[in-house]
Amino acid sequence: MKLAHPGLRSALAAEYVLGTMRGAARRRFESYLQSDDALLHEVQRWESHLLPLADRLPAVAPPDRVWKRIEARLDQNVAGKAGPAPSSLWSSLAFWRNLGLASSGLAAALLVAVLALKPVEPDRVLSAVLAEENNVVRIVVEQPRAGLLNVKMVKPWRTDSGFAHELWVIPKQGAPRSVGVINDATDTQIRLAGLDARLADGAAFAVSLEPPGGSPTGAPTGKVVCQGSIAWMPVKSSRPGTQI
Amino acid sequence: MSDPGTSDKLAGLLAQCGLGNRRAFAELYEASKSKLFAVSLRIVRERHIAEEVLQESFVSIWNNAAKYASAKSAPMTWMTAIVRNRSLDIVRRPLVEIADEDDVFALNMQDERPGPPEQLNIRRDQVRIERCLKGLDAEQLQTISLAFFQGLTHSEVADHLGRPLGTVKTHIRRGLQKLKGCLEP
Repeated sequence: MKLAHPGLRSALAAEYVLGTMRGAARRRFESYLQSDDALLHEVQRWESHLLPLADRLPAVAPPDRVWKRIEARLDQNVAGKAGPAPSSLWSSLAFWRNLGLASSGLAAALLVAVLALKPVEPDRVLSAVLAEENNVVRIVVEQPRAGLLNVKMVKPWRTDSGFAHELWVIPKQGAPRSVGVINDATDTQIRLAGLDARLADGAAFAVSLEPPGGSPTGAPTGKVVCQGSIAWMPVKSSRPGTQI
Repeated sequence: MSDPGTSDKLAGLLAQCGLGNRRAFAELYEASKSKLFAVSLRIVRERHIAEEVLQESFVSIWNNAAKYASAKSAPMTWMTAIVRNRSLDIVRRPLVEIADEDDVFALNMQDERPGPPEQLNIRRDQVRIERCLKGLDAEQLQTISLAFFQGLTHSEVADHLGRPLGTVKTHIRRGLQKLKGCLEP
């Protein structure tokens, strides 16, 4: 990050909080805030200076329908936790925590089951577009043929974050399964024993931040940074080896 | 709203929200909705947009309540930041007429009397910032309060006041520097 000068940092933080920083500059500044704790601290200082002024505005009661809509949104999220709807996974850290707990017990059994399946030529292949919560596309996952997964980098991550990016397939039911750690800033090819069986009932992919080398527990432990539902496409010819 | 007792209460409600307590969330909404709606309405100017901002902000407040503890700010400050950020992100308006008498800040600055009872409980932060704002010159104060309360950009402030853009930017920048010097001596 280029914001080295303390005076400049403080001035930008002030304009951010005041609201005069807008559009692309504002979004860029927010992206700096994700990784720069000192800058975030400066913003919080300005917030605690300036935002109490908002208390001086005369109160305006919002209509009751706003609360009804908020409740509907929350109920939707709760329902999402039980089902496979990938868009609702975002909203719930608890989802990941619970899956993590559940899967630590299940992981061994699951792995045995997965490895016991012989690789077969699939009659369908998958693709998925993984985006951040704000819909910025990060990676595209494609399966050109059986046993191979291509992870194409659309918007690279920083390579010096100290985190590994681990790709997970989220089955229609059950815990996420690791597909592997992917490169931070370049394409990745994944060839893995039992890959196709592992993907077979996949509903979505997600990428989580993990310690270097990947999750130590076999379940996602860190923040989910992007996700996307899986689209399955039938392969026209079912003859082995001829799929593109 | 602004006395320390209320602030503690809101912090407690937020902590409960972080644990998934929906009743605490309803109480938090009741206690803060009208102030936060006013904040958004002033910036986005259209009621239906402000309603949407409030709705999405509270969904975000619920989802992030568990992280509130680490924000180390007053609960109302934390929630106001969420509402303001969403309002500023969404606002794309043609420059409409802004009545000067609408500018609460200018009004408050001229009124040195204690004011209505709830103002007796003004938080320390608020007293400090208001004291420091009084140290600004008139143009700095006017540009900063237009930007803050109305959510105007530099060029909108310039259009509104009929001043050159560069002059407005300078007033705001110097005003903020002066405020920092006063607030963080």
